[in-house]
Amino acid sequence: MNKKQKVVLLFGFILIAAAIVIWIISGSEFFSKDGIWVQKPLTELEKSLGLEPQLEFHKQFVLGLLPHIAVFIGVVVVISGFLFFMLKTKKDKEKK
Amino acid sequence: MRIILKTFLIVFATVLVLSAQGFKVKATGEQTFDFQDKKGRNQATFFSTTPLEDVTGLSNDVKGKVTFNVSDIKTLKGSISIGTGSLKTGIDLRDEHLRSKNWLDAENYPEITFTIKKVSDVKIVADNKLEAKVTGDFSLHGVTKEVVADVTMTYLDESEQTQQRAPGDLLGVQAKFNIVLSDYDVENMIVGQKVSDNIEIKVNVVGSNAL
Repeated sequence: MNKKQKVVLLFGFILIAAAIVIWIISGSEFFSKDGIWVQKPLTELEKSLGLEPQLEFHKQFVLGLLPHIAVFIGVVVVISGFLFFMLKTKKDKEKK
Repeated sequence: MRIILKTFLIVFATVLVLSAQGFKVKATGEQTFDFQDKKGRNQATFFSTTPLEDVTGLSNDVKGKVTFNVSDIKTLKGSISIGTGSLKTGIDLRDEHLRSKNWLDAENYPEITFTIKKVSDVKIVADNKLEAKVTGDFSLHGVTKEVVADVTMTYLDESEQTQQRAPGDLLGVQAKFNIVLSDYDVENMIVGQKVSDNIEIKVNVVGSNAL
């Protein structure tokens, strides 16, 4: 492994680690979501009617492992693999 | 003989009156409550699990009517339905899957309906509030099965406060029951995940007798 290949590998690992950290910070959801459920506070009348808090759909993108993070990691792996292969020096090839 | 017959009738009528369980409110006699709400404040939710995550879905397209004698909740009749196409789970792709032919087939079965058959185990919680078990026919995906729902009903006489929501007396209904998906010929795979066969359904609605 030459110096350039090491740099490619290092960048690949950094990008994948960053994607995983962002996924964890975003709530570690398995699937990406288009919105979230938010519990609406009950009004006095609703309390008197014995109702439970209702859920309200709020449009909000939630980053999930599938498909976004997985696709990103896949692309990083493919590009890193391609560069790793392309950056092979003559010396490496002669060794084989 | 006449005295015996009269006594029997009086006793029978007294037993009937005493056994009737209902609301002690201003209204009397038979009342019909309509759950139509143009603002979409009535809600039905369902909850299930998959190996990867819990799935919560809901619909605000809940409608229906119930009729009952205020002093005897066992006279309850009527039905509540949900628009199949209105169910949302928070993921557009999953919603499409839910409405598709393999799942609820919203095109051919546009409504999910609960039709009341019988009320039992009535427990008076307050003058205007009671709990009961309501047996009914639940229709989903073209299949109808009997289910028993735990129901809490609250009756509010018309007041300035109730008029903020709708005219007339209001009836708040909170119901909860479980169904088994395979009973309704529904495939339990959704976006590649196996969904638990057991689905919990909750209904949270308010009806008015002046709509």
